[in-house]
Amino acid sequence: MRPFVYERPTSVSVAIAMASHVDARHVAPTQANTQFIAGGTNLADHMKLGVAQPVRLLDLNTLAEPALRQIRVTDDTIRFGALVRMGEAADNNDVKHRCPLLADSLKFAASGQLRNMASLAGNVLQRTRCEYFRETSWACNKREPGSGCAAMEGFNRQHAVLGTSDACIATYHGDFAQALIALDAVVEVEGRHGPRKIPFARLHRLPGDTPDIETDLAADEVIVAIDVPLEAWSRRSRYLKIRDRESYAFALASAAVALDMDGDTVRQARIALGGVATVPWRARAAEAALQGKVMEEDVAEKAADAAFADAKPREHNAFKVPLGKRTLVRALFETRDMKV
Amino acid sequence: MNQAAPVPKENQGEPVVRIDGRLKVTGQANYPADIATANVAYGALATSSIARGKVSKLHTDDARAVPGVLDIITYGDMDKTDKPKFGNTGASSIAPLHDRTIFHDGQIIAMVVAETFEAAEEAAMLIRADYEDDPPSASFDSKGAKVEPAAGKSPMLKEDVKVGDFDTAYASAAVKIDQKYSTPTQHHNPIELFSTTAIWQGDQLTIQEPSQNVTGWKIELARQLKIDPANVRIVSPYVGGAFGSKGPMTARTAIVAIAARRVGRPVRCVVSRMQAFNTQTYRAETRHRIRIGAGKDGRITAFGHEGWEVTSRPDSYVVGGTSATGRMYNYGSVLTHISLVHADRNTPGYMRSPPETPYVYALENAMDEMAVALRMDPVEFRRVNEPEKEPIGGKPFSSRSLVKCYDQAAQAFGWSKRDAAVGSMRDGDWLVGMGCATAIYPTASAPCAARVRLTADGQVRVQCGSHEIGTGVRTVAGQMAAERLGIGMDKVSVEMGDSALPPAPVSGGSISTASVCSAVLKACDAVRGKLFAAAVAGDGPLAGSGNAKLEMEQEKIVASGGKSAKLSDVFKAMQIGAIEEYAEFAPNGSTPEALKKLYAGQAEFHGGDQDEDSVKYAFGAEFVEVRVNSYTREIRVPRIVGAFAAGRIMNTRTARSQLMGGMIWGIGQALHEATEIDRRNARYVNRDLQDYLVPVNADVKQVDVILVPEIDLDVNPAGVKGLGELGNVGTAAAVASAVYHATGKRIRDLPIRIDDLIA
Amino acid sequence: MSNSTSPGGLSRRTFMTGSVSAAAAMPLVATSTKAAESPTAKAAEPRDLSTISMRINKQAYTLALDNRTSLLDALRDHVGLTGTKKGCDHGQCGACTVLVDGKRVLSCLSFAVMNEGREVTTVEGLASANGELHPMQQAFVDHDAFQCGYCTPGQIMSAIGCIDEGHAGSDNDIREYMSGNLCRCAAYPNIVAAIVQARDEIRRA
Repeated sequence: MRPFVYERPTSVSVAIAMASHVDARHVAPTQANTQFIAGGTNLADHMKLGVAQPVRLLDLNTLAEPALRQIRVTDDTIRFGALVRMGEAADNNDVKHRCPLLADSLKFAASGQLRNMASLAGNVLQRTRCEYFRETSWACNKREPGSGCAAMEGFNRQHAVLGTSDACIATYHGDFAQALIALDAVVEVEGRHGPRKIPFARLHRLPGDTPDIETDLAADEVIVAIDVPLEAWSRRSRYLKIRDRESYAFALASAAVALDMDGDTVRQARIALGGVATVPWRARAAEAALQGKVMEEDVAEKAADAAFADAKPREHNAFKVPLGKRTLVRALFETRDMKV
Repeated sequence: MNQAAPVPKENQGEPVVRIDGRLKVTGQANYPADIATANVAYGALATSSIARGKVSKLHTDDARAVPGVLDIITYGDMDKTDKPKFGNTGASSIAPLHDRTIFHDGQIIAMVVAETFEAAEEAAMLIRADYEDDPPSASFDSKGAKVEPAAGKSPMLKEDVKVGDFDTAYASAAVKIDQKYSTPTQHHNPIELFSTTAIWQGDQLTIQEPSQNVTGWKIELARQLKIDPANVRIVSPYVGGAFGSKGPMTARTAIVAIAARRVGRPVRCVVSRMQAFNTQTYRAETRHRIRIGAGKDGRITAFGHEGWEVTSRPDSYVVGGTSATGRMYNYGSVLTHISLVHADRNTPGYMRSPPETPYVYALENAMDEMAVALRMDPVEFRRVNEPEKEPIGGKPFSSRSLVKCYDQAAQAFGWSKRDAAVGSMRDGDWLVGMGCATAIYPTASAPCAARVRLTADGQVRVQCGSHEIGTGVRTVAGQMAAERLGIGMDKVSVEMGDSALPPAPVSGGSISTASVCSAVLKACDAVRGKLFAAAVAGDGPLAGSGNAKLEMEQEKIVASGGKSAKLSDVFKAMQIGAIEEYAEFAPNGSTPEALKKLYAGQAEFHGGDQDEDSVKYAFGAEFVEVRVNSYTREIRVPRIVGAFAAGRIMNTRTARSQLMGGMIWGIGQALHEATEIDRRNARYVNRDLQDYLVPVNADVKQVDVILVPEIDLDVNPAGVKGLGELGNVGTAAAVASAVYHATGKRIRDLPIRIDDLIA
Repeated sequence: MSNSTSPGGLSRRTFMTGSVSAAAAMPLVATSTKAAESPTAKAAEPRDLSTISMRINKQAYTLALDNRTSLLDALRDHVGLTGTKKGCDHGQCGACTVLVDGKRVLSCLSFAVMNEGREVTTVEGLASANGELHPMQQAFVDHDAFQCGYCTPGQIMSAIGCIDEGHAGSDNDIREYMSGNLCRCAAYPNIVAAIVQARDEIRRA
């Protein structure tokens, strides 16, 4: 690991000023010399691997603002402070009750220890677990722009089938982000030019030709809160995660589903898919296919077909297309059958 | 009820708690990298990123410039040492720093030594190599891989196992199958990282390293370093899981020793989880073709087993499981053949039940297929083919309780409630499947020495250079001494894991309990002999009881007539404070050189299929219930029952734990474990515990272990068959059979994953 | 002697040797209060050492550490508490689990410098001074909840955290919430049984 300077900003504005101080305004946050650390579960791992090489770390845990550590639930919104730990959010009774999808997506992620460490903002910003990205001796356009992609023709069982490009097929492995994108969450960010709000769907960027640029954030911007609107579908919501083992594994496929039902008829559906795409993946075509329909086997299957219509499987991950579809169908029925 | 402590049945010892339990739960058990070592410097490996070629230039300037770097060991620096040898003690003949040839991905190209761990790691990552690389051969079917017959390439397989006229029998069989199976590369991944700490004091070298073979390593390391073995000590008091991975010594040990000599202070190198995949051994991937022919009555007339195994370019590691599969049932004829496939890979090695795990998996999956073809119950099919004698040499089994195991496991499992029709059992959205398979493991033992000291106040110390790798051998060795000397376990201490102790064989092949306990038994009997003689002597406390049968219990010597004498009084009469006896055990049939070879670190194994009088195996039967989700097809194993017969059980607690752990290993083999290879460049892809999946707590629900009583006085003086490896043999086949029963899909290539069932 | 704080009294080189001897593992109770109150010395250059104060097993420590030093390596190599184990160093196995301010975390993924002022509990801090085992430790012995014992300190710390979080209500909960602790010997059913015993005992107490 490269040696680094460690500093403890005392407030959000100080943190931003310290990050802005360096000439890192034109590089992605993941490439900047100065980087923020909160839980450290992703960044410390990447620093040990040589994937991340910051020379200065700003510890966000020393920020004084209490709101950063609070969950506030009102009638129409759940507001998560950015430094709230995953475990705390997963165990929050209001969250569990008002929107099970949020709590489940956290509960089924990582392990108890990691959830106690990882902040919510850090969690949504987690980088891919692609093996070729993690090991610096492989070609990887995300880690080293222009070097190529070893995964494309390599062992790509865990890789994405949606949102891929000719430069990158790395999966976004987060779970909580699937809940957030399905539920139209909004990310509140503070930066050099003041605060701004980013719809969650616009936080992450498709890999395209620049898989090294993963989010819409600048290197001197800090997420301070995540707002999740509570709507008619929030209570009837569920996260289904399919993996090789029963726990502590990344999704081979997952589905975040929220349904507003009128009897057996779907008024509105909110759907996101995990484990299969390069970024948090909202399945709007599937939502549209369900709207106004009675939820039956063929309707659910058509929605699933729509969700994967553009899938581009590769040698070892073709199974993710049928698996992703069946995961969605199962999640739709399980969500429909929830007692709320 | 405490399920961890099964009530002993006939010929089974008490479920005594582990003698080192307290140390392990308080963090006081010192694994080799835990041992406080003053002024230690840290080593970090740099490894190759190609699998085949040459290092044309090594760039170390950036690394040397890192503050705190003391030295970099690389090409040329090992020239005054002898190269490692491949064999029982050495993991590979590849001598990474003796020349610049690269034989496999992740081969050591340098080791940095620095003041701190952080500086060493930083510098190691800054080492760059220029390569002249050649296209590598990754595995089976790779261009350039060299295929050759395995027989004769290893002492483990002198010739292929065969009997009778297979071709004719198979051709004329009424019912037959001909199928192919495969098992992947797997890595042991003990949770303890591999490490070496080297400490020189003058010309005395101490190595602290987790080892399953301290005596063998002492000799081998001395050979490589060209120093007197008397000056080398290997210390490995606790081992954080081994499973075979810490049996053979790797090239790193000598490199760290040389580094420590160069920098003039102790050097500790803890190998990263990723680097361990390439610098240690692993389970070779295997392929199998199995042909079985039988009459309509289910009696097997022909059994054919062909195996192919990947190994490295220079070394012929032979997995070789046909000795067990060829003797499993009452086949009319047997034809086997094993081929080695030399590829650009690190040399494989033994991993928990090395031959049996892959070979018996193939056989037992095929047996289930055959039972389906015959429309027979798979348990009945095995019963019909139960042999009187082993089919290859016609020798009797020293004991064989397989049918009893099937009976007891089937009953506990509720096999009679299974509806044989495929896909017929369901629980809501879950398809239910049930399957079974046979477990077998050869029973061997090897020469072993032990020293036992009994003091007048009733303290017992047992010393033996065996290894506590989690099996409980420390506990059972203490139990043996406690029982034999009539002392409570609280007054017994056991020292192991040090080459300065009386030598023991490698802790592999499930031989430790039998070998160690036989030696301890012998030493205890010598102590008893001295005490008894003194007790019944003319001036002794039991004078006149010379013809009585004497026993030791509760710190007394008790004569059959009822008279007894306190241990302390016997010692007083002898006018001594302690009796210490050193004993050497050698199995029946040992060669005259057997004990000499023990001290040379080359202990001979006896038993299994090697003995003249009988073949010796432990057996078990495993039953598995799987659930497969009808939508998403993930496979779960809620229930597994195994019944095992393994001679005398020294301690039902440690025995159950070993077998349970083995069965859970079997679940991992069936559903999770595989080291993935990028075939383009012969490199491992998933070199960590994030992507190399092993079962987690949530994967395991109900595991039942039945210890079937068995008495076998032929195997060794202790009457013990090993069981450390028995538990995970057959499990994967039972899972595959259960998956077939649930889904109708016969998966022949491990691991069985959603990928196989979803399409 | 990496936990010494005598200002300017030790050369950089002495700090960097970082070797552990019995003496180096002695807590510095006398200097701790002062050190904890004063703001941490700011490291201006990446290779400068940082001074960190924390309480480990109820003893105050002040350590001078490389910023890169993980909490795990600080415990093992600088404080001499080797009960906490390194199994992967990447947050994948759980062997390094300790309690920080009462919560179970992975010490391998936490830079030690980020733990200023925190209360760390390791497996060495569980048994009482008279040697009586913590109920969880005793339960692990009773139920043979380990074989090789290497993952055990992490399992025990994680299990204590798991109960404290309220995630040990049922066997299935225990299995799920203990899945971040790999046991390669696969003592899992025994681990669950041990946690059930300790949970009930802790509840009764």
